[in-house]
Amino acid sequence: MFRYVIKRCLLMIPIMIAVSFIVYFIIDLTPGDSVDAQYPELTATEKEELREELGLNDSVVVRYARYMAGVLRGDMGTSSTYNDSAFKIYMKRLPATLELAFWGIFVAMLIAIPFGILAARKQNTWIDSSSMFFGLLGLSIPNFWLGLMLIMVFSLQLGWLPSFADGTWRSIILPAITIGTGQAALLIRTTRSSMLEVIRQDYLRTARAKGVSERKVIYHHALRNALIPIITAAGSQFSVSLGGAVVTETVFAWPGVGRLIIDSINTRDEAMVVGSIILTTMLSSIVILGVDILYAFVDPRIKARYSK
Amino acid sequence: MVKKQAAQTANPKTEFQRINYLSELWRDFKKNKGAVIGLIVLCIIVFFAILSEFMFDYETQVIAINVSEMLQWPSSKHLFGTDNFGRDILIRLLYGARYSLSIGVCSVAVSLLIGSSLGVIAGYFGGLVETAIMRVMDVFSPIPSMLLAVCLTTAFGRGIVVLMVAIGVVGIPAFAQIARASVMTIRDQEYIEAARACGSREIQIILFHIIPNALAPIMVQATLRIASAIGTASALTFLGLGVPTPMPEWGGMLSDGRNFIRDYSYMTLFPGLAIMITVLSINMIGDGLRDAMDPRLKR
Repeated sequence: MFRYVIKRCLLMIPIMIAVSFIVYFIIDLTPGDSVDAQYPELTATEKEELREELGLNDSVVVRYARYMAGVLRGDMGTSSTYNDSAFKIYMKRLPATLELAFWGIFVAMLIAIPFGILAARKQNTWIDSSSMFFGLLGLSIPNFWLGLMLIMVFSLQLGWLPSFADGTWRSIILPAITIGTGQAALLIRTTRSSMLEVIRQDYLRTARAKGVSERKVIYHHALRNALIPIITAAGSQFSVSLGGAVVTETVFAWPGVGRLIIDSINTRDEAMVVGSIILTTMLSSIVILGVDILYAFVDPRIKARYSK
Repeated sequence: MVKKQAAQTANPKTEFQRINYLSELWRDFKKNKGAVIGLIVLCIIVFFAILSEFMFDYETQVIAINVSEMLQWPSSKHLFGTDNFGRDILIRLLYGARYSLSIGVCSVAVSLLIGSSLGVIAGYFGGLVETAIMRVMDVFSPIPSMLLAVCLTTAFGRGIVVLMVAIGVVGIPAFAQIARASVMTIRDQEYIEAARACGSREIQIILFHIIPNALAPIMVQATLRIASAIGTASALTFLGLGVPTPMPEWGGMLSDGRNFIRDYSYMTLFPGLAIMITVLSINMIGDGLRDAMDPRLKR
């Protein structure tokens, strides 16, 4: 098991190096550069001199090598917008995105688990069909539109909740519902299929025969065993929402890394864009790795396979 | 094509009924009422997407600014109201269907052709070829798809073609993995061995035996991907990275309406409904296809 974990961690290194090159190369193709964006008042000659001084005229491979040498020294470049270390700016904004992703998953599981259990218990009835339909609806609603509709109703018309991050605990509610609704759709299906696999097991029939209440059979026995794939699916959704939060953060002016990336793109802040995307990808990979390892630990069948 | 002969029917005349795979698929698909409703709704949307070119004049009705008709609430004259440039929202929505559908279909075509080809080659040949292809896919997989799409559209500029290619590239790893998994269950089947024994070349085996039998999960994934591609395209345009104005792309219309949400909420309501209904109908079709193609998932 330990060797499996080490192997997965080591495999991440070449993948992350390759990811960093791809992201750097793609962003490098963007028309214009930070000199154009930050110093529009300079003449063409002055801009060329500045580019020469900053090394921006070197080939992309040389610039990438210089960038990676900096990364190895712990320096992911300086943000031309914020005049500070790109890594520092990213780490300052990351907690807001993590908070959003966490509460999004919380909302998703709050919706998905009861509906998934209900759909499994009432399989092939109108309750099952309705749950699946609402799951599909949640998946189909564009989350940025849902966010705008929630703002319209709860912020502008009713005035109950703020439409942007104002520092209060209430400001997380609408963004969390926006992100959580789409994720709930996938989790409802996972919960339903996981519960269906477990619900007809012999040990549950034994429990029912012993007179255990149906409620206890479902929530105490069945759900515990059905939770494993649900939690791993939720973990995967968490890592997806780290990248997908960019739209929700834009709608709610949430000060997370998603909005940081969009703002940095608009200001041609190359160091910030490249650094943010690489760090988000790394974080996403670590979360997926963590979920896989957790799955292996929780499910003894998987653990036994990797312990051989 | 899998052909079955039905048993003798109640009709005293003996008839052999040749039921081909597509008929069987359609028969099973029709049983899912949601999927059929989704198909009807999608057909209506496609109808307007195709005919809007002939129903409305692009220059004078879709993009022309009409200051006197600005910000009108829905009425008998403008069923869905007008936007801040006086443009009829219903006309722009109907015309905009072509952008969303074409982006969805073309981007998935890119993913499907490239991703599935790579997956089939990886799954069939195995060994070093499989390792090389799947390691390349592993490099693209960890990048959050939205961020990769943002990167590509930023690098190559705004436009429909860029959007199609960007969203298509993002979907390649998923199709490669599905195709590979599908092919790996087929390549060791006895009929493949028989084809090889009969002297068929590898390319013939791949084209005439492997691909037709591996197609089912790929087509389900393709249908569901069209839905998510439409959503992603709208999201990118909403962020200012997709289809440029004044083209009536639904995400762009939502973005325009955002500035007027307090007093003219209809400007955000209708484009969002259009995206939701289109994506929902395609998802329902995809669900129906999945149930029809995989008997284990049937109720």
